[in-house]
Parts: sequence; C-alpha cells; structure tokens
Amino acid sequence: MKKKKEKGLYLSDRPPLTAVKVGMLGLSYVLLFFYVFVILWPLAQILFASFNGNHGSYIQIGVSFSFSMKHFQYLFGKTYFLNWVWNTILIALATAALTLLFVSFTGYAYSRYRFKGRKASLMAIMLIQTIPSFAGIAAFYTLHSIIASIAPWFSRQMFLILIYAGGGIAGNTFILKGYIDSISSELDDAARIDGCGNLQVYRLIIMPIVRPMLAVIALWSFIGPFLDFMLPSILLNDPRSYTLATGLHTLINDVRNMHQPVFAAGGLLTAVPIIILFIALQKQLVSGLASGAVKG
Amino acid sequence: MSYPKTVVDDIGNQYPRKNLLLTRDADEVAIQAYKERIQEARTAEKAFLAQKAERKSTFLQSVDDPDRSIRHWLAAANESEALAAFYQPLVDLDYDFELDYRQNLEIADQLPEIAAGRRQMLDLRDQTKKALIEAKKTGQKEEVAEFRRLRKERLAQLDQENKELKAAYKKRMISAKAFSNEKREDALAARDQIRVLRRQLPVNAEKERLRYARHRLRQDRKSHLRVLNSDLSDLRRKTPVETTRRKPLISYLTWPLPGLGQLVVGQGIKALFFFIGSLFLYLVAIPYALGRGNYRGKGLFGLVSLAQDGSRLDRSVIFMVEGVIAIILLVMGLLLLYQSFRDVRRVEKQMIRGIRRANWFETRTSVRRNGFPFFASAPAALVTLFIVLLPIAVTILISFTNYDPSHQSKFSWAGLANYKQIVLGQGIAGGPFWHITGWTVIWTLFATSLAILIGFVLALLVNQDRIYGKRLFRTVYLLPWAVPAFITIMFFSIMFSPDGPLTSVLSSLTGQITNIKYSTWGTRIVLILLQGWLGSSYVFLLCTGILQGIPKDLYEAARIDGATGFQATRHITIPILLFQTAPLMIGQYTFNFNNFSIIYLFNGGGPFEPTKYGNIAGSSDLLISYIYKLTIQKQYQGIGSAITLIVSLVLIFIAWVGFSRSKAFREERL
Repeated sequence: MKKKKEKGLYLSDRPPLTAVKVGMLGLSYVLLFFYVFVILWPLAQILFASFNGNHGSYIQIGVSFSFSMKHFQYLFGKTYFLNWVWNTILIALATAALTLLFVSFTGYAYSRYRFKGRKASLMAIMLIQTIPSFAGIAAFYTLHSIIASIAPWFSRQMFLILIYAGGGIAGNTFILKGYIDSISSELDDAARIDGCGNLQVYRLIIMPIVRPMLAVIALWSFIGPFLDFMLPSILLNDPRSYTLATGLHTLINDVRNMHQPVFAAGGLLTAVPIIILFIALQKQLVSGLASGAVKG
Repeated sequence: MSYPKTVVDDIGNQYPRKNLLLTRDADEVAIQAYKERIQEARTAEKAFLAQKAERKSTFLQSVDDPDRSIRHWLAAANESEALAAFYQPLVDLDYDFELDYRQNLEIADQLPEIAAGRRQMLDLRDQTKKALIEAKKTGQKEEVAEFRRLRKERLAQLDQENKELKAAYKKRMISAKAFSNEKREDALAARDQIRVLRRQLPVNAEKERLRYARHRLRQDRKSHLRVLNSDLSDLRRKTPVETTRRKPLISYLTWPLPGLGQLVVGQGIKALFFFIGSLFLYLVAIPYALGRGNYRGKGLFGLVSLAQDGSRLDRSVIFMVEGVIAIILLVMGLLLLYQSFRDVRRVEKQMIRGIRRANWFETRTSVRRNGFPFFASAPAALVTLFIVLLPIAVTILISFTNYDPSHQSKFSWAGLANYKQIVLGQGIAGGPFWHITGWTVIWTLFATSLAILIGFVLALLVNQDRIYGKRLFRTVYLLPWAVPAFITIMFFSIMFSPDGPLTSVLSSLTGQITNIKYSTWGTRIVLILLQGWLGSSYVFLLCTGILQGIPKDLYEAARIDGATGFQATRHITIPILLFQTAPLMIGQYTFNFNNFSIIYLFNGGGPFEPTKYGNIAGSSDLLISYIYKLTIQKQYQGIGSAITLIVSLVLIFIAWVGFSRSKAFREERL
C-alpha cells in the first residue's frame, strides 16, 4: 500500500529525471532489447529447426512449422550420438580428474616450498602456457603410435586426455599457486607443529580452503573437451570414437550425409546442460578466469 | 701439506684436533705414544665388541619380560651402558670414540624409559582384555536396562524441549530460522548424550579402553624412537670428524656408476637408491640412445640419418621423434649422474672440514622435507615433458626439413629453406603467407575490439541505476558464451549456406542473390560480426563484475562536485574498467589470433581465390587454420611447422612483455 506522493515533495535519493534523461533511458532500453533480440533470434532458430518436422535435410526459410520429434529420433536411432555423448563425458571427466591430481601437487609445491629452480621453472611454465597446444600436431600421430607400441591398450582418446591434461597443467598451476599464496602459511606451521606431514598439511589444511578454486579448475577442465573441435578432429579417426563437436560436424560437412535439422537437435541437447551449468555457476567461472589472468 | 689446526662441526663451532698424526706441532715421541695408544684402543674395542652376544645372553637371563621389543630394547640399553663405560677413558683419543661414548650414553639413558612406558601400556592392555572378558561373562543386563531407561528419559526431555520451542515459535518469540537451528541443536545434544551413555556400558567402555591401549602402543613406539634418533643425530652434528683426506676424490667414483661414491663414503641406503637410478641410465637411457629398444628408429643416430638409409617402410618422422626421446632420456640420465657426483662431493668436502656425513635417518628426514616439491611435481613434469615439450621440439626440428607431400616417408634436413619460402612468399605453401598474416592481424584487431566494444557498452547500459530487469538482461547476454561455440558457428554456417535462411533474407533485402560464403569480404565481415556476437558475453560478464565492485562513494563525491552522470561515467567508470580488464582483454586478442574453430567451421577458410592464395588456403583463413590445412590436410608439414614456430614465438613475446610488466613479476612475488 503505497501512499500517494505529495506533490512538490521529491523523496527519492536520486537526482530528478529530466526530459533528456528520460530520452536516454528510453534509448538504453531500446538498445538492450534490440540486443536481446540479436541473441535470442539465432538461438530460437536452433530450437525451432530441431522440432520442425517440415524440414528435410536442409534448414530453409519459409517452411511452415509442424511439431515433430523425427529429428531427435534420427539422432538417437541412426547416428552415434549416444556414443559421442558418452565419449565426451568420459574424456571430460578423465581430463578434469587428471588435471586436478597434477595441479594440486604442483600448485601446493610452488606456493609453499622454496626449492632450487623454482623461479626458472615458473617462468618456463608461464611461457609454455602461451604456446598453443596445436604447436605439436606434426608429432602427435607418431608419438601416439610409439606409446601404443609399448602399451597397445593406449587409445587415441586416452592420448587426447593426456594432451588436454598436460596442456592445462601450466596455466592451472599458476592459478592455484596464486590462490594458495593468499592463504596464511601460519596455518600450515601450526599443523606441522602438531605433527602433520607434507601431504597431510595439504589434505587437512590447504585443500578444504582452496576447494572453490579446485572446483573452478575442475569445471573448466571438464568443459574444455565439450568445446574443443580441433584436437579431436585431428586425432580421432573412427566416427564411433568422436566427441560431440566432431560428431555433430559430420552431420553438416558432407552433402551425402547432410542433416541440418538433426544437427540442430543434437546441438540443442548438447547446449542445454552446458547453459544450465554456466548460468548456475557463472560467478565461479568468471572468477576463475579473472584470477588466472590477474595473478599471471 | 698440512691440516688445519681445528675442525668445525655442523653449527660452526671449532674444536681442537685430537688426532696427533694430523697436527703439525707435536713432537715425535708424543706421536709415537699416540699411535700406540690408538692401536691399543682399536684392538681392545674389537675384542670388546666380539663379546657382544655373550653379554646379551647373560643379560637376557635376568630379564623376564615376555614382550620381544622390550627384551630387545633392554638388551640394547645394557649393551650401550657397557659400551659407554668402555669408551669413556678413550674420549680424549679420537672424536669417533667420543661420539660412540656420547651416543651410547644417550641410548642407555632413553631406552629403558621407552621400554618402561611400553610395559605400562602392555599391562593396561592385558588388564583391559581381562576386564572385557569378565564384563562379557557377567553380562550387563542391569546396566542395559538402566541405559534404556536413561535414554527414554532423555528422549522424553528432547520432546519436551521441542514442544517448548514450538510454542515459542508459535508465539512469535523466535524466528523460523532460530527455531530450526535450535531444534537441530537440541537433537544433536540429545544424540551426543545418549552416545556417551552407551559408551559407559561396561563392555563398551572396556572395548574403548582396549582400542586406546593398542593405539598408544603403536604410536608411542614410533614417536619415541624418532625422538631418540633425532637426539642421536644431534650428537652427530655436534661431534666433528677427522679424516686424512684433503681432496674430495671419492666423488669421481660416481662418474662411471652413480651410487658408488656414496657406498664408499658409507651411505649405503642412499647408494642403493642411486644404484637403482644408474639402472635407468645403463639399461634404459644409453641403450635407447644407441638404438636398442626403439619402436622403429635408431636412437640418436636417427636424428642424423632421418631414415635416409633405412628400409622402404622406415619413416623419417618416427626416427626424428625417437631421436628427441633419446635426447630427453640421456639428459635425464646425465642429470642423475651429476646429482650423484655433487652429492658425494659435498659430503666429502664437509668431512674434510670436520662435519660428519648424514646417516640414513638424517638423509631420510631431509629428503622428506626438501625433496617434497620435486616428488610432488614429478608426474606433472613428466607429462609436460613428453606430451607438451617433446611435440614442440619435434615441430621445431621439422621446420628445418623438407617434409612435404613428395617427401612423406623420407625427408631430409633442409636448413632454413622453409623460412626463406615463407619470408619471401614463394612456393605453393609459402606463397599466401603474407596475405594470410595481413588478414589474421585485421581479424584479430577488429573481431576482438568489436566484442570488447559490445560487451563494454552493454555492461554500462545494463548497470545504470534506473534499468529494471537487470537479472533478465544478464542471463540473456550470458547465452552466447554458454552455448558451445562450435554449435552456434556451425548453425550460422548453415544459415549462410547457399540455400540457407539468412541468405534468402539478405537476397530479398538487397534485391539480388547475395551469397556471403562466395564473397571474400562478405565472409570476412560476417566472421567479425559473429565473433563480436560470441565474444561480447565474456567481456560483458567481466565488466559487470567489476562495475559492481566500484565503491558508490566515488560517484557520490563526483555528484557533490557537480559532475553530470555522463562525466562520472567518462572519468570514473571507464578508466577503472579499462585498467582492471586490460590483461584479460590482451588474452582475448591472443585467443582470437588462434581462433581456429570459427574460421574452419564457418566457411572452411573459404572462399577460395586461387590467383591470390593458391589452392591450399582460402581468403578467410587465419594462420592457425592455414597451419592446420598445411600439416593435417595437405601434408606440407615442413612449412606448417615453420609457421607454427613463428606464430608461437610472437605469442610468447607478447605474453612475455605483458608478464614482465605485471605487478607480481615486478614485485618479485613469484
């Protein structure tokens, strides 16, 4: 129940609106809503295309809409979509786990210990992380066949995991080191006096505090394989072993196998969980990115 | 040829020499007498030590403790007592005797106490065992009944508390939050009290006591022995050693075999570890470098020959990779060798000054403390070495070869030929290099700047005071970032395809058939716009975060000083935004420099312009997608690698400049 404002008495703590300001505000809203449209229109097209039964192999304009699940049926029945999902999730999980394992140790060691070659190797890490992971593409095939000759069970996917995890070590070590640096080392000293060893200090003292940053690192390592197209397209050769990005690409890169609406359906199914993840965790994701760069 | 008059211990204290043979100013007679005394003492020591078993068995007859550890400790303490008594008169002769005397004194002092403590715990354990059996026999019916009664009472009390709480909540005396918290607390308290009661039941109590005794038995042994050991090592540190050596010569023994020097110096267990390391050197690294156990290659020789003289199936690239692996293994082996040498050399030099070598207990402690960072980062270092650095090294090497479609199986060293082609823009592969570089630079600048501009403006607009629905705008503007980029890019690619929806729209707008994908500048402009669309979200999110963190009083101060809203934005908001996001924005530029997905997935680098670009690259190809086409699709690995190297060097340089100006670096806070 708002009381009617008395005329002439201005109660807001903001300066009164002038006509120019009203105009500016209106313009702001127009621009903002325009950009909302710019973003939503293409995304809506993906949504409509994937449910429109009137589309054939191509997505065309002017086709009337009739709701149908046939593209999804095709996706699950006639493509290796479930394989791709499964592969991507496995690769992503393994990458996240490996990265966490490596980085926990290195981040802790670099933050808490002063040892010979520390500064030099930090500098090296810094430079390594700027070299893009494609720099080694010429050697990847050969390296894989050499490892596979020693260990025949070593598949291309595992190699991909190693490349992802190995490529993430440098940057993530830097991020985690910066984060651990901000924790007072008096905590460790206290734990050490109480008889904790090196690993116990990490497990019992440091890890509970850095858990948010570990979560961010795990999250980014997990999302990475979902977004990457280049490395799987180089390394994986069997459609069954593809990840989502390379797999969905097969639906649109070849005239014989062209199924644009099916691609839209697959893209929708891939995007929805990731969108939910991003919206739910946007603060953490951004903070992870930001801290890495600022500390770097 | 003389020795210093004093010896130094680990803390820096100076001690006079005891060994007359090593002092300059002793006369012949005294030296002779000293020699004889030493001789005598050594023989006596030998004889005394030979009776050890005898002393032990006579002593053990007087000990009737059934526990093996205690018997062992008591016997050792007894032996130490005897030894201390034996060494006491010899203390002036030599520092070794002094150390033996003092250490044995310490052992004789501490071990009986440790043994007594263990006896006490053992007694407690046995008593408790008996008590437990007793308690089980008599049963605890009454106690259990009593426990149940108490528990019932306690639960009833809990109910009562809950009721009171509820009443208080109903009367609005406490908040909902306080109510639920209190409720939980009460439940926890009740549970804890019931648990305590249950543990007080006779059988449970005895079980608990038994667990305690067993735990103490395990822990005490460890911690007491550790204390004894570190006390002994203290004595080692404070008692110097005299040696006749003047130069650290034993360390050279480690050159042929790491670990040998350690063995001679007397550090047996450490030597064992170095021996294991030398197995790696002699059974893995050197044979591999010589070509044994290679996959196909010939170790180091493969790097020289590049399989030129091999059979038809031998491939140069495999020889090259294995050559690099051989170098890495060799370097690791040589590092081990050098470490071993340095280790012995350090020990020897210290011994010459008078500092005793570390025993295994000391070595282990120091390795645990100082070696941890190396052990901890070893797995990560190995993966980085073989998965990241090795391929990069191979790429560097390939860039100096003529690895191209006509030399797929066998290629040879070609010096700087690839670089020459690139710089001069010659050949099928090198020709378009400068065109592509030009477009890459344009693309990087425009696409990134556009994304930053859009993100910036949106952030400023949304975060105005009077805008409602901020959450909605933020969520929508996040979407281009949240949807995996490959999906949106591929979808835009579909929409711009010859029959695609957007092509139709554009054609009807312009009145003629507008096919973006067939036009160089059409593709390029759409790519830049698309990246603006994709990249703005990230910038928007970052800026929003920073805008929310700007303190409000800055704006209030500005308003009091008479600034308009526009001026406040211009002089407060924008500088802060620019300053704080600058490093991340540089990251965005390097990201777009290498943005493979958008180029490759949108139009495959096309459209093709054979007159200008040859038939490998298209006119929207960036350096990275050009590298991809060269190395993966068209098999010009040599030139591809050379371009990769140039690109990487530029990126490293930019990163280096950015990094060396950062605060962390300048303040040496690494």
